[in-house]
Amino acid sequence: MPLTGADAEAAHLILNGALLAIKLANSSGELKGITLEPMVLNNATATAGQYDPAQAATNARKLVGDKKVLANVGPEMSGSGKAMAPILSMADLATITPSSTAPALTDPQFAGEFVPGGKPIYFRTVTTDAYQGPNMANFYAETLKVPSVYVLDDSGAYGVGLADAFAAQAKVKGIKVLGRDRLDPKAADYSAVLTKIKATNAASLYYGGTMQAAVKLVKQSYQIVPDIKKGGGDGILSPEMMTAAGFPAAEGWYATNASPHVVDDPKLASWVALYSKTYGVQPDDYAITSYDAALVAIAAIKAVIKSGKPLTASNVRNAVQTVKINGLQGPISFDKYGDLSTRVVAVFQFKQNKAAPLADMDKQSIYIGVAPQS
Amino acid sequence: MTGSAIFLQQIINGVSLGAVYALLALGFTLVYGILELINFAHFSVFMVGAFVALVVLEAFGLQGQSVVMHGAPLVLVLLVALVVTMVASGALGVAIERYTLRPMRNVKGPMAMITTIGVSYILFNLVLLATNAQAINFPDPMPQASYHVGGVVIRLKEILIWIVSAVLMIGLNLFVKRTKLGKAMRAVAQDAEAARMMGVDVDNVVMIAFFAGSALAGAAGMIFGLYYNFAQYSIGYTAGLRAFTAAVLGGIGNVPGAMLGGIVIGLIETLGSQYIAARWADVIIFSILIGTLVFRPAGLLGMLAPNRS
Repeated sequence: MPLTGADAEAAHLILNGALLAIKLANSSGELKGITLEPMVLNNATATAGQYDPAQAATNARKLVGDKKVLANVGPEMSGSGKAMAPILSMADLATITPSSTAPALTDPQFAGEFVPGGKPIYFRTVTTDAYQGPNMANFYAETLKVPSVYVLDDSGAYGVGLADAFAAQAKVKGIKVLGRDRLDPKAADYSAVLTKIKATNAASLYYGGTMQAAVKLVKQSYQIVPDIKKGGGDGILSPEMMTAAGFPAAEGWYATNASPHVVDDPKLASWVALYSKTYGVQPDDYAITSYDAALVAIAAIKAVIKSGKPLTASNVRNAVQTVKINGLQGPISFDKYGDLSTRVVAVFQFKQNKAAPLADMDKQSIYIGVAPQS
Repeated sequence: MTGSAIFLQQIINGVSLGAVYALLALGFTLVYGILELINFAHFSVFMVGAFVALVVLEAFGLQGQSVVMHGAPLVLVLLVALVVTMVASGALGVAIERYTLRPMRNVKGPMAMITTIGVSYILFNLVLLATNAQAINFPDPMPQASYHVGGVVIRLKEILIWIVSAVLMIGLNLFVKRTKLGKAMRAVAQDAEAARMMGVDVDNVVMIAFFAGSALAGAAGMIFGLYYNFAQYSIGYTAGLRAFTAAVLGGIGNVPGAMLGGIVIGLIETLGSQYIAARWADVIIFSILIGTLVFRPAGLLGMLAPNRS
């Protein structure tokens, strides 16, 4: 997780989810004498200012080098995942990501690159951008009914893939894609590219990427193209949208999540209360998928213990593949590539709530619904 | 928007961006002109300046975009913040010179330059730790006024940036050209040894160059914050490298050259984004840096480097 830097707040929400599951498993004694010890590794670096794939690779080597590590929860970002997957694959160490959504990671077409070890090790408790991007394009076409769009990304693995997937489906749906450009996440000034967008008279903007570029994009697009519809993926469904980008600039932006929206589900009220009591912040949906990811790992470890096989990373991986549990978000199982069997993309819109704390995602955005699946 | 309106709008964007680069480039140029030293700590002084301005504005009770001020109180608050920021950044520059560079003054080779890189990293990491690497929402007390002229939008903020930058740059130019201290500066730049023999206090001149350059970097930091409405530990690096390119392009050591270079780089960035693509901006800018170094090392307006024969 990038626990410092541009995406730190969102990363901590996710980390807490996994830690909570581990804590509860330990205190319940369900693992019969085994105490799980979480090892938390930060993959953000000062030079990157955000998640850093090079650091993620270093962390992955650290994980596979430690025989006591049975499974990993994470990473948050696909850019980190791409650096980690080959290393984890060679060691047969399963990772369950609560939020990284780049399709390539589990796409059999790229197996040589990301699964050199042969068996899937990259499992997800969220769906992928193969659904997140296109479903949002469906939402743009069917619900927002925009005639044209300009598509930007932040040059990262996640952002480029998401924006490409969105643009492809937008064309299918008859939305005119007026342009496709790339932002340097470290640059400060996007007024030039936004002026260009204004000149095309685009009716909407779609941004694939994370918060480092989004902070500036949101602020400057409010100045230059205030009236068009704007949206992005789960990379901008983050408290930084309010604390760093701020209202009124963030007002009206749409964002998706590659998981069902269950935080407000009354069935989860006691879990949400426990989470916010333990960590002092409100969880978001990825805190839930992260909790579920840790549940998957715990269930797999339990299965290995039950089968009497030695407790190794490789045996735990085999158990993860066949896990069938009821997580907070609903039933969880994986297809043969490691992807979640259920595929739901939720759409949100940022809307200021002056009475609520600024960083409270749940209060500062409204849930629009599930994006149309094609 | 019509083709010409788009072009004009990008020129406005480019000049605003260029004004920040130009203010930063002046600091590189002042110090280089006198010491023949590329001061990489300058990047970080700019960034620290943005945070000083942030703290001062927040001390006035301005948080994010919530408070909008008008008229005399607004001018007063901005002026106080600008003065505090410039003095604090200037003092930081003087401290860097006094404690890390003066002991190396007579050491030959790249030692001093490497020291400035070290100082830059220290400041960078201090701010990183203090802010937990977050982007901070910068107060925006100015009314969102804008003027529409035939499809082109000029915002109040942009006009303010131009005025403040122009005043600071013209002021510096007059200071270097017309005052006694400025004359001493030029004398030291040409030949420090001879200037010392003529009774010029070289240490004092160097200190003033650092103060002026760093104060301008602080002003640039505050303008950056007000214009883009965010501050982050990493802002110095990207802006600083471009400002450095601007200084080289204009002719490092040359004050009007730094201003021209800043504006040109700003324009290249915006026009390049419009007519080519934003993703090529860095490639174009740093190709210009290399091209200038190879084909016209003295820059557009010529280098005012010390001429020791």
